[in-house]
Amino acid sequence: MKAIEAEGLSKNFRVKHKEKGMRGSIQSIFHPQTEEICAVDSVSFGVEEGEILAFIGPNGAGKSTTIKMLTGILYPDSGHVEVLGIDPVRKRRQLAYQIGTVFGQKEQLWTHLTPYDNFRFFGAIYDLDNDAAEARIAELAEIFELGEFINTPVRSLSLGQRIRCEIVASLIHRPKVLFLDEPTIGLDPVVKENIRLLIRQMNKELHTTIFLTSHDIGDIEKLCKRIVIVNAGQIVLDDSMEHLKYHYLNKKIVEIKLREEAVLPPVKGITILKKKGGNIKFEVDTARIKISEVLRSIDAEHIEDINISNIPLENIIMEIYMAEGRADGL
Amino acid sequence: MLTVVKNQLWVCALAVKYNIMREMLNKVTFLTNILFMMFNNATFIVQWVILLRLREDVGGYTMREVMLLWGLAASSFGLSRLLFARVFSLPELIVNGKLDAYLVQPKNVLLSVMTSATTVSAIGDCLYGLVVLCIFCFSVKRLLLFLLFTVTGAWIMTAFALLMGSLTFWFVRSEVFGSNMVNSAITFATYPDGIFKGVSRFLLYNIIPVGMAVYHPVHLMMAFDVRKFLAVLGYLAFLSTAAVIVFYRGLRRYSSSSLMQAGRG
Amino acid sequence: MRKYVVIYQSVFIENLQYTANIAMGFITYLILVFVFINLWNYMYAAPGDLIAGYTREQMIWYVMLTEMIWFGARSSTVREQVSADIRGGNIAYLINKPYHYPFYILAKYTGEWNIQLPMYAALTAAAGITMVGALPDFHWLTLVAAVPCIALGMTIHAVLKLCISMLSFWIEDANPFQWLYDKLILVVGTIFPVEIFPAALQPVLKLTPIYTVCYGPAKLIVDFSVGKYLEILLAQVLYLAFGSVILFWIYKKGGRKLYVNGG
Repeated sequence: MKAIEAEGLSKNFRVKHKEKGMRGSIQSIFHPQTEEICAVDSVSFGVEEGEILAFIGPNGAGKSTTIKMLTGILYPDSGHVEVLGIDPVRKRRQLAYQIGTVFGQKEQLWTHLTPYDNFRFFGAIYDLDNDAAEARIAELAEIFELGEFINTPVRSLSLGQRIRCEIVASLIHRPKVLFLDEPTIGLDPVVKENIRLLIRQMNKELHTTIFLTSHDIGDIEKLCKRIVIVNAGQIVLDDSMEHLKYHYLNKKIVEIKLREEAVLPPVKGITILKKKGGNIKFEVDTARIKISEVLRSIDAEHIEDINISNIPLENIIMEIYMAEGRADGL
Repeated sequence: MLTVVKNQLWVCALAVKYNIMREMLNKVTFLTNILFMMFNNATFIVQWVILLRLREDVGGYTMREVMLLWGLAASSFGLSRLLFARVFSLPELIVNGKLDAYLVQPKNVLLSVMTSATTVSAIGDCLYGLVVLCIFCFSVKRLLLFLLFTVTGAWIMTAFALLMGSLTFWFVRSEVFGSNMVNSAITFATYPDGIFKGVSRFLLYNIIPVGMAVYHPVHLMMAFDVRKFLAVLGYLAFLSTAAVIVFYRGLRRYSSSSLMQAGRG
Repeated sequence: MRKYVVIYQSVFIENLQYTANIAMGFITYLILVFVFINLWNYMYAAPGDLIAGYTREQMIWYVMLTEMIWFGARSSTVREQVSADIRGGNIAYLINKPYHYPFYILAKYTGEWNIQLPMYAALTAAAGITMVGALPDFHWLTLVAAVPCIALGMTIHAVLKLCISMLSFWIEDANPFQWLYDKLILVVGTIFPVEIFPAALQPVLKLTPIYTVCYGPAKLIVDFSVGKYLEILLAQVLYLAFGSVILFWIYKKGGRKLYVNGG
């Protein structure tokens, strides 16, 4: 069974338009001018139970709007959504018992209380009785290693500790689907890695379906098996991570350092990216030319250093955004 | 059904408790806020001592009635701001898209929103009302009625603030209008109804809800009258039903809104 | 001196854009005035009555004028901003800037009330003439004479509020004291003229800021006399001088405490 199913999901927003200055202000009172923009444009996708899905796109691509429609905060203009077989529009409350949400930029914890008190509050919200809540808190505290600070007021915790608590708070009621909206934003690399590890563990041990949005390529690369890229309200790619990488892996980046300045022969399948004296950086399309052929064309005598690497995922994704050519703010 | 209600009330009680705990973190500020609010209210006694020196009664009220009026107004607004402070800042939540957090919870959205903040000085208001009652016109029957009318008054004020605040779902600019209406209610509630005549009197008993929240109850505490009592209860039921309907209509609009709001999208 | 003028000007221009927001406060003012008109209409049982030497029209105009001053002087600068600067530690940076912080705040505040007060004055005039009727024996010259009194009163008000805000150097929350001061002005000062209080209390009230901040200017507009005019001006100058000395004394003491505690 699919955990999330969206079909032809659309949402339009009207944005107010105002001319500059006093005249514009007065005009906008009597004749408000609005412009219709399509935040989400007929989006369809599905998420399997137990899957970790990365839902990514540039700012304003429609990610948050989509999450809001999946969780029942916003109603779609058209299309159909089902999360765990429940329609978020008509049965928002029933769905709320089954899902958890973590918004990296918005706090849901009470900062003056300890994590423990917070968890008890969320336990009450989800109708857990005392024993069940205690047992669940103990279990999660173990997995997320909260022991040290579970009785320290949230406002005194570090950002990393706080995010861990945010995640635990959203797991109190054993949600089957967890929505993580930029969970690692603002964290340092070590803490990020730690959070990712915990998310993976949670997915494995609790079999939680995870719907993740992030701008952090590391999150996506390390967590997700599948990736959906949206841009300007439309899905531009829905593919497995492996496939995505393979598809783009026929390109290699070669950096060589030559003893003296040299000119590369113009060969099909090679694009020079950067050239400065003896240092040359170029891209090789291995579908058109083999790496070995490229290397043969360079005089091995002159090579001081060589480095061959894959294109970073970040660039791949950027390329996909750019290829669509409609990304705002890029 | 019963457990649903019980759980809901339990969550509300927890929220209120945690709100107050937050304010109690700094004990000195907490206590001074309460004491100064009581003192603040007490300063207005000066005004009435002076006015009642000029005439025997103001709008048919002697010192006793004026103090009862003040006490009830303070207590009911106090109770409303203590338990449901967020109602008074509802427009800000709507405009900034801050209702989202309550929409993903499986509890009643309205109750969760209302109980998500408190005003500490409101405790001072509540206490002031009781102190005034005890000093100026104590009787057991009056105390019981006072407690009852504090609850109905708080209920009516909360409903009124909810109704006014919910207008923001439709008109973003109505924020100022709504808060002015609520503030004007507070102003009117501290003056005897006898000084208002004609149209303003009609407004005070029908549109701005001070007549039913404060004036009638004061009359009732002086001389009980079943018809007035039923009028208060009827008005309370009507106003709160209307407010809840308007809020949920607005909430549906919020969710299906096609207007991009700050902090959303 | 020039830099304070520049601060004043920029705040003035900035606030010009917010006239619509200021006008929103008109509703609260009008409701309050409406209540007072009803109240005094009730108190004056017969049309020709005098209360404490005031006719009905004079009494209502007096209340409207003091409320006008009160609303015109509303400013978060002298209250919230100063407290926030001190409590948030911002003051440690501001104290080293090449201007005197109290003057900076006063310049800003003046830029604010210079827009607010005229707006409320226009509203008061319009509301008064339509709802109460013109003031008896009113002369335009008294209005001109009252202008310096109003300006002095507004400044005294700000200096006193600043003194209270500066208490934040020592206590966490100066708001309760702001309340006390506000209540004194609002309850004792704006609702009735000083003459209405028992004779024994009147000399005491003349010593409070009520006399210089709201009673003085309003009284002069409602019932002008040269003797009164000079008396009030003198009291205001003394009050301002005294208040400023206290302000700078508190500021200096507080600043020193800052250095001891390291901000």
